[in-house]
Amino acid sequence: MKQSLVNEPLKTSPSDLLRGITRRHFFGQAGLGTLALSKMLEGRDSTKLPNPFAPRAPQFRPKAKNVIYLFMAGGPSQLDLFDYKPKLVELNGKPIPQSYIEGKRFAFMGSSHGTTLLGSRRRFQQHGQNGAWVSELLPHTAAVADELCLVTSCATELFNHAPAKLFMNTGSGQFGRPSMGAWVTYGLGSESTDLPGFVVLQSGPRGPRGGAMHWASGFLPTTYQGVPLRNQADPILNLANPAGIPAEQQRRTLDAIRDLNLTRQVETGDPEILTRIASYEMAYRMQTSAPDLIDISKESQATLKLYGAVPGKTSFANNCLLARRLVERGVRFIQLYHTNWDHHGGTGETLQKDLDVVCKDVDQSCAALIKDLKSRGLLEDTLVIWGGEFGRTPMGENRETPGRNHHIDAFTMWFAGGGVKGGQVIGRTDELGFGATEDRAHVHDLHATILHLLGINHEKLTFRFQGRDFRLTDVHGTVINKLLA
Amino acid sequence: MRVIVPILSLLIFLSLDCAAEVDYLAEVKPLFLKNCTQCHGEFQQKNGLRLDTAVGALKGGSSGQAILPKNAKGSLLIQVLEGRHSNLPAMPYKKPALSLKQLATIKSWINSGAKYPPDEKPLTEKHWSFIPPSRPDFLHLKNPLTTKNGIDYFIQSKLESLKLKPSPEADRNTLIRRLSLDLTGLPPSLDELDRFLNDKEPGAYERMVDGLLASPHYGERWGRWWLDAARYADSNGYSIDAPRSIWKYRDWVINALNTDMTFDRFTIEQIAGDMLPNATLEQKIATGFHRNTQINQEGGIDREQFRIDSIFDRVASTSTVFLGLTIACAQCHDHKFDPIKQAEYYKLFAFLNNADEPDLAVASDEDIAKGNELDAKVTAYQVELATKDPGFREKTKSWERELTPSQRQGQPEPVRQVIDVPFDKRSENQWRMMQSAYIEQSPTNKLHQVAIAKLRAQKPKIPMTMIVRERPKPRETHLFIKGDFTRKSDQVFPGTPAVLHPLPAIPNPNRLTLANWLVSTNNPLTARVIMNRVWLQYFGKGIVETENDFGTQGALPTHPELLDWLAMEFMERGWSLKAMHRIIVTSSVYRQQSISRADVNLRDPYNLLLARQNRLRLDAELIRDVALSASGLISNKIGGPSVYPPQPDGVMSVGQVRRVWPTDTGEDRYRRGLYTFYFRATPYPSLSVFDAPDSLSSCTRRIRSNTPLQALTLLNDPAYFEIAESLAKRVIRLGPKDDLGRIDFAFRICLARPPLEKERAILKLLLDSNQRQPLPQDISREQAKWTLVARALLNLDETITRE
Repeated sequence: MKQSLVNEPLKTSPSDLLRGITRRHFFGQAGLGTLALSKMLEGRDSTKLPNPFAPRAPQFRPKAKNVIYLFMAGGPSQLDLFDYKPKLVELNGKPIPQSYIEGKRFAFMGSSHGTTLLGSRRRFQQHGQNGAWVSELLPHTAAVADELCLVTSCATELFNHAPAKLFMNTGSGQFGRPSMGAWVTYGLGSESTDLPGFVVLQSGPRGPRGGAMHWASGFLPTTYQGVPLRNQADPILNLANPAGIPAEQQRRTLDAIRDLNLTRQVETGDPEILTRIASYEMAYRMQTSAPDLIDISKESQATLKLYGAVPGKTSFANNCLLARRLVERGVRFIQLYHTNWDHHGGTGETLQKDLDVVCKDVDQSCAALIKDLKSRGLLEDTLVIWGGEFGRTPMGENRETPGRNHHIDAFTMWFAGGGVKGGQVIGRTDELGFGATEDRAHVHDLHATILHLLGINHEKLTFRFQGRDFRLTDVHGTVINKLLA
Repeated sequence: MRVIVPILSLLIFLSLDCAAEVDYLAEVKPLFLKNCTQCHGEFQQKNGLRLDTAVGALKGGSSGQAILPKNAKGSLLIQVLEGRHSNLPAMPYKKPALSLKQLATIKSWINSGAKYPPDEKPLTEKHWSFIPPSRPDFLHLKNPLTTKNGIDYFIQSKLESLKLKPSPEADRNTLIRRLSLDLTGLPPSLDELDRFLNDKEPGAYERMVDGLLASPHYGERWGRWWLDAARYADSNGYSIDAPRSIWKYRDWVINALNTDMTFDRFTIEQIAGDMLPNATLEQKIATGFHRNTQINQEGGIDREQFRIDSIFDRVASTSTVFLGLTIACAQCHDHKFDPIKQAEYYKLFAFLNNADEPDLAVASDEDIAKGNELDAKVTAYQVELATKDPGFREKTKSWERELTPSQRQGQPEPVRQVIDVPFDKRSENQWRMMQSAYIEQSPTNKLHQVAIAKLRAQKPKIPMTMIVRERPKPRETHLFIKGDFTRKSDQVFPGTPAVLHPLPAIPNPNRLTLANWLVSTNNPLTARVIMNRVWLQYFGKGIVETENDFGTQGALPTHPELLDWLAMEFMERGWSLKAMHRIIVTSSVYRQQSISRADVNLRDPYNLLLARQNRLRLDAELIRDVALSASGLISNKIGGPSVYPPQPDGVMSVGQVRRVWPTDTGEDRYRRGLYTFYFRATPYPSLSVFDAPDSLSSCTRRIRSNTPLQALTLLNDPAYFEIAESLAKRVIRLGPKDDLGRIDFAFRICLARPPLEKERAILKLLLDSNQRQPLPQDISREQAKWTLVARALLNLDETITRE
């Protein structure tokens, strides 16, 4: 790949940039050769075999090496979790002053959207040395408040799920742009030689709206798209040998494929064949390492209990534990999706029972992940991100029970770990929690900050497509300095 | 003027006097062009400042005079370039500052009086791609025309100038596989291979070319090429991603290419087929081109917003596909690099903003007549029943009385209305309707229901397809401020960018006018853009490397005369694609070996000059087609509804809505890759892993990645394993009896060449390694052994590569 994109100032010659996407430049470091392969290569250095994921140097000294992004799909209600608004409780049932909503657009404008204020019924308390407000719904998270940097002034632009999720993941509401994980692995490669650099884990009652688009590589090579890891016998699509093919036979087949490919390489001199050989070798290693990775039964009882993980189950808790195991194996970007945060008030999406359920699903294991990473010395290298695609309105929505509509002007996310100054709250919202009044943190700013923590200048990580140099942050984004340790 | 003239004479005098001074045109202007004119130039004048001429620089903008001659330090321009102005940001804006040496050059120019030539033109001449192609003049080129066709002439002249020799022609085995894959997407059969190898008559190659161009599979191979640009898929996209029916459009493309529909007509029918006089069904189907946009069916959305998004997509696609311009930038602002104003973007938008987007029942007159005839038979059957039986009305009444409230509710609307009318107030017609409901619903009429169902089953199945239909009254189009549809500005009317050839001067230009304009022979872009993309398929990269950007930021053509020659040939041969394919594949350049050469690697590492062919990994669909062909399973059926070949479990559950995947069991299980049902949100994994486009926007060039997931797919995907087993059976059934003979047979099926001694040995080793392997009960040792070899062959780099 065009490694120099992140190492050198941007080259402007379009043909230079385009060459970056013709696949012939995957020359990296990872040791890939088996003994037989080295022999076949006859003196050629097997460590020079091409590897698209070969780790690449960041542009400047990074604070974090890996990312675990806990994506709360649906849009958690910041007003019932983090953004404590006694005034809203006081004004419960009153119409929202016109000045707030003049000219604004919301989802469900023609039907259930409401304009009366809805105070939270949840009890809030201050936690940690800095007194961060966290509601009763997230006791475990509250207990690690000193590790977290809460940003209550997050803002986005799109108020429907799929476009807003895309916006959070790709910096654009349009399908077809690379996701953050793809950008990061494109820019930095991965330390892992036997797992993909960008892995996606899912839990909750359904897939996130928009599906695979959220971890797509867009116009970047597919090498960098997120690979969903499934909690099945076959954790990666087509990982298991076909029925009736024992491991030993698979290896012999791979040896023959490699030897034949190498013969062809000698005939044609095409370096692309070396990349293909390397891909097959990595595929083989994935076949052994991925089942080992998802087998959490060897974790200690204490660890399983900490997360609330149960071997063999598909749950957010199991996924959090897997995230730690992935970080241990050098995987660069891990994204967890947990669905069902869309609390409009209708059946199955009430702000009472259903919000309780989903908070219970995630609370303990989020905190466990922080504690576990910390105790293993991994937290300082790992950036942990928690948040959804948008927040929810201070106004109630008229469904079977009072719920909250999608809201883009203010919502809360938290950050922890590598390079993040924990134990603080950034941003302030108005007394109703409608909009940010201090330190507004737009999605583009969050992206700029995340890349910064990884040692990447967001303006310099670019890819030329359709005549334009694209970035994760489009033409925007300012690093949030307060967030940095 | 009166003031300037004396100054100019003075400057000229001075410049003569001090020849060693900084030369404005050679040293200063290039710095301005490189660093400043993007925002302060012909297309944009931020703060009213224009730096593409020295006059503009002297005049300055809204902050005042930019240059004070003989006073660099006091010049506003220098202050901002050095980042020391108190109010203005450092320039170039948000970009690295100029180097000290560059600054010194500019300062020295100012200090010596800021002299410039009196007749300075703002920029250089028009961008190359906006000047119509012309037939290149062979005479002024150095070498006489000695080689086979224009392609060889231009490529070889350039090679000669670099003292590089072209590569020799590839051997016949390579040639037939290359040609067959390039023209039909299928490898040659063993018969075809032997016929070609044994055809020693002159013209064997050309005969093979003609045969392949006439094959109906040509339309499939090149149809998929076009469908990439058309962003074709079988679902609505976004999060809900419901299936849609638009395969009739896909079949239209295949058929149009197979019949070599001229490219101008091909374009007009897709952009505005509905507006042609007496538009045929086929011409309406063609307008599906612009229905391949996504449809958002999520709850709570603003439908107008997404309708407008789809028009944005149509403007972008039209310009990318036909003009090779990245016009979408002008959705929000005047294009920063190319001469496209924001207003011009919305003029194009206005052409495309006046259509409705209905579904069309694709029924021939015959189908309709047949359907009507059968409907009449059903009615006649029911009437006869009612008239033959005098007690029929009473039976109907008692059935109706016994209907439960929910059954009443569940009746079709017209029947429900009849139920509300008292028995004695009903017309004959109403009774007929009620009797029909009784016949079709009452369990006592089972026999009649079966008879009627049989009649109805004979009705022709009428597929639906998505089309565009012009509205009688056009919508008003407004410019959207910053591309935001909630911020309407002035009304705009249909029109085309001023930098391109003019639109005919007719009163109300519409979509059909636009379509004709796109394929006008005055259009400097379309023929070049299309030829470049055809070229790209054969050589792996275009003559213009930025195949979707022929604008000022795009790459320059490596062989401008060749591109023009191809464009002119294309238009003069009546826009025949097949004619152009023939020219390209019969060239010596195309027929060269692809083997790497040290001298080429040294002097032309990216092989831009084509001293050899390139090895190209096959497109996703063709990887499937090649394997299916080798296995003998492949269905050669062309067209029809999209199909559901097997895919691994759990693929459909990643989307928001779990879609059904009714895996085909018959012939449709083994159809070519391009017929696979393509869900945008959950694309068929073994296609997307090999870089099949996402169909979200026009794709004019596929990426070719090379990943471990591809290896896992070919090794382990159950669909590929089934194919390998079938190839093994074929080898056992049709090949020789001895192992080495069978290895050669299997090898030739997959690669169209015999194995080298070494390759044969590697496969024999693999074959023998399986002798003591325990086997599942239902598989013979023979079958297991050869499946092993088949898997290895289907996984080879060479199998999935066009050499």
